[in-house]
Amino acid sequence: MPADIVTLVLCGAGLVFFFAGTAGIIRFPDTLTRLHALTKADNVGLGLLITGLAFQAPDWQSVGKLVLIWAMALIAAGTTAQLVARSALQQQDTSQ
Amino acid sequence: MKRTVALAAIWLVFAGAGLEALVVGLIFVPIAVGLSLRLVPDGIPVRLGAVAGLLPRFIAQSVIGGIDVARRAFDPRLPIDPGWIEVPVALPDGGRVALGGELSLMPGTLAAGSVGNRLLVHVLDRKQDVAAAIRHEEERLWQTTGARRGGASTGGPPKDTEGSR
Amino acid sequence: MSAWFLAFATLLLLSLAGALWRIWRGPEPADRMMAAQLVGTGGVGVVLLLAAASDWQMLDVALVLALLAAFAAIAFVKAQSVDGSGDPEEDPVSPAAGTDPTTIQPGRAPDAR
Repeated sequence: MPADIVTLVLCGAGLVFFFAGTAGIIRFPDTLTRLHALTKADNVGLGLLITGLAFQAPDWQSVGKLVLIWAMALIAAGTTAQLVARSALQQQDTSQ
Repeated sequence: MKRTVALAAIWLVFAGAGLEALVVGLIFVPIAVGLSLRLVPDGIPVRLGAVAGLLPRFIAQSVIGGIDVARRAFDPRLPIDPGWIEVPVALPDGGRVALGGELSLMPGTLAAGSVGNRLLVHVLDRKQDVAAAIRHEEERLWQTTGARRGGASTGGPPKDTEGSR
Repeated sequence: MSAWFLAFATLLLLSLAGALWRIWRGPEPADRMMAAQLVGTGGVGVVLLLAAASDWQMLDVALVLALLAAFAAIAFVKAQSVDGSGDPEEDPVSPAAGTDPTTIQPGRAPDAR
């Protein structure tokens, strides 16, 4: 089925981004650069995964839930990234 | 009104369209709307149509942001050159936070709150021209609010936002 | 299909192991927090894949997990801020200690529209 192939490709691509997020969080040199990797790569990963799974959803309600999960993850990532960045900045300040 | 519609839609997704779910929803959606109005009183008017217009570019940009950071994370040479920039942003408070959230998902930038009316932005690569992109996004966010530039952040219809804080 | 989903879920768990390493090593509290967030997002991904592989009712689990991950991060920031008020904007901060921030001039003068 073509829908299955689309799902597999999108989920596979999503996984690549999750791995990129992990690679970034391990390899990048400081807190803030790691935060870059986390927020961006992770959200694209989850977005691709959700888009891929939406092709398999049994009913409209599941699609709606998938969209809600995604919207929540997006907003949460954008907001918490700012907050954690701010907090990291203050920690740096006090330790110097 | 917009909130009622949005929260009712979320309820429908949660609970489905069965009869019982609708009755419970009829009780809880108004409570949720009341709570939301109490916690976040109406501020700057937001044009929902314009917000929807932002979405395609935002999604495209965040995908590019993901690809960009993934490429750097996998590259054995780790091509990053982090630094800070400060960007004066004239958007009202809520708008500045929205801009920050948006920037945090776009290529190479990460907002870290603001000092006065300047937004602190951490950039992954100082060689990238992020300034133009930030100005562009600010411009686009302006178009989603009914508030007037340089006006107070307390909102109200555009005609009485003349005074400054 | 469900075999594929299970395989993907396993791979995703493997990548989360890397995040656990960062939680272990730190060094900053913020590092640990963001790695925990990565586990949160990844966990949502794993649950979604399992939902697709077995039972779509599990979407509710993913939904709650996504919410909790956000709350955890906010709770962290609240705990870190000086007076526990959780509003980092209140606390003074000098940007980028040690570096020289470049100030960008506004694009164009504010005008009425």
